[in-house]
Amino acid sequence: MNRKHILTMMTAVLGLTVSATSLAWLEAGGQRDEALHLKPDHENGIEVYEVCAGCHLTEGWGTKDGTFPQLAGQHKEVLVKQLADIREGNRDNPTMYPFALPESIGGAQALMDVVTYTAKLPMNPDNGKGEWETGSSEFEQGKKLYADNCTECHDKNGEGIAEKFYPKIQGQHYNYMMRQFEWIRDGKRRNANPDMVKQIKGFSDKDMQMVINYVSRIPVPKEDLAPSKDWLNPDYD
Amino acid sequence: MIYSKIKTATAMAVALVVLSPAALALDGAELYKTKTCSTCHGKDGKSPILPSYPKVAGQNEAYTLQQMKDIKSGTRANGGSAAMKGVMHLVSDEEIAALAKFISTMQP
Ligand code: HEC
Ligand code: HEC
Ligand code: HEC
Repeated sequence: MNRKHILTMMTAVLGLTVSATSLAWLEAGGQRDEALHLKPDHENGIEVYEVCAGCHLTEGWGTKDGTFPQLAGQHKEVLVKQLADIREGNRDNPTMYPFALPESIGGAQALMDVVTYTAKLPMNPDNGKGEWETGSSEFEQGKKLYADNCTECHDKNGEGIAEKFYPKIQGQHYNYMMRQFEWIRDGKRRNANPDMVKQIKGFSDKDMQMVINYVSRIPVPKEDLAPSKDWLNPDYD
Repeated sequence: MIYSKIKTATAMAVALVVLSPAALALDGAELYKTKTCSTCHGKDGKSPILPSYPKVAGQNEAYTLQQMKDIKSGTRANGGSAAMKGVMHLVSDEEIAALAKFISTMQP
């Protein structure tokens, strides 16, 4: 009885330690959970997003060269998690860092306002793509790599899964995804999902290029896209 | 034939003389907005996003020019320079010069 009790306790402690590390990528930042339960204010979203637009553009499309990622259409759950992770120093990006701080965004309410606003923006019909055309042999190999390694989390067409904080990756810029994927593979992005890290451990640089090339070319559903690449966000003039 | 060549050459030379100063006069104010500078240093150059970030409005042109070059090259890497380094590949030397000029004219 006593022995069993100790054993249970030890298992419990062990279990705790294990889950603390493997779930670190999903550890609830207080503000994150708080924010996702608030009712968003559209007008304030526009106001808060203004400074973000200086880099991510007023359309939320980021830049084709991948310096700035597209935020438009991303799940708000993912946006909140990434902002919390950037703030907590789990992603090495000093340029974005100041904008993830409460001093610049405001509190949980402002956070909810801005992510809801960006999540609803229509996406870029002209994202940065990899070099291999749809149908080429490298494209087909990338497609296979995707089907075998990624659908479980990023879904069939890169839609991601909002409730699980799995990002949408369809329509994202190739260069940005390459940078993130490499950082995740090599452990530089410390908020990464450990199962994704395991899944892609054996990927060569060529595999990585092929699978991301494929992802960058997955067609985004028309209803999620802006009518043209010249579309301008009417909320700003 | 020869005449028309000469004419073309003259026209080109004239165009060069007329155009080059115009082409060089990059719009510093526009660059300051479109190359992300305003996000960190404020639209007016004196309301930085964080209190630890510098006000730049009205600073000497030569000093400003050198600081931007140094942050871009990594020679200046102290303090918050890393934040700014992440955007400096977006601006060429000519654009940096235009920005330095513009910043020096901003109301401090
Ligand atoms: C000075 C430029 C700059 C500004 C201003 C800026 N960002 Fe960013 N942001 C970046 C960069 C660069 C990255 C990508 C960093 C990387 O490669 O890891 C990024 C990444 C992000 C990401 C992660 C995207 C993803 O797919 O994981 C989110 C979310 C984000 N920014 C939101 C915002 C919001 C909200 C604001 C305004 C409050 C903002 N950003 C303002 C430069 C900026
Ligand atoms: C076990 C689940 C899982 C698998 C399998 C997985 N991913 Fe991910 N992926 C994630 C999660 C979770 C994130 C976000 C991590 C975080 O919160 O920072 C992510 C992030 C990414 C990002 C960065 C997105 C951004 O906006 O910053 C890319 C690109 C990506 N994954 C591509 C892939 C590809 C391609 C594959 C297959 C080769 C793959 N992933 C397999 C879960 C997974
Ligand atoms: C992501 C934030 C960020 C962006 C974007 C940014 N800067 Fe900076 N900048 C800084 C920080 C922080 C410093 C101070 C570095 C330090 O602590 O030493 C700085 C320093 C400077 C300085 C030197 C100031 C001094 O007194 O020494 C100048 C000039 C300057 N920036 C101009 C620009 C221009 C022009 C742009 C656009 C091309 C720009 N910055 C974009 C954050 C930024």
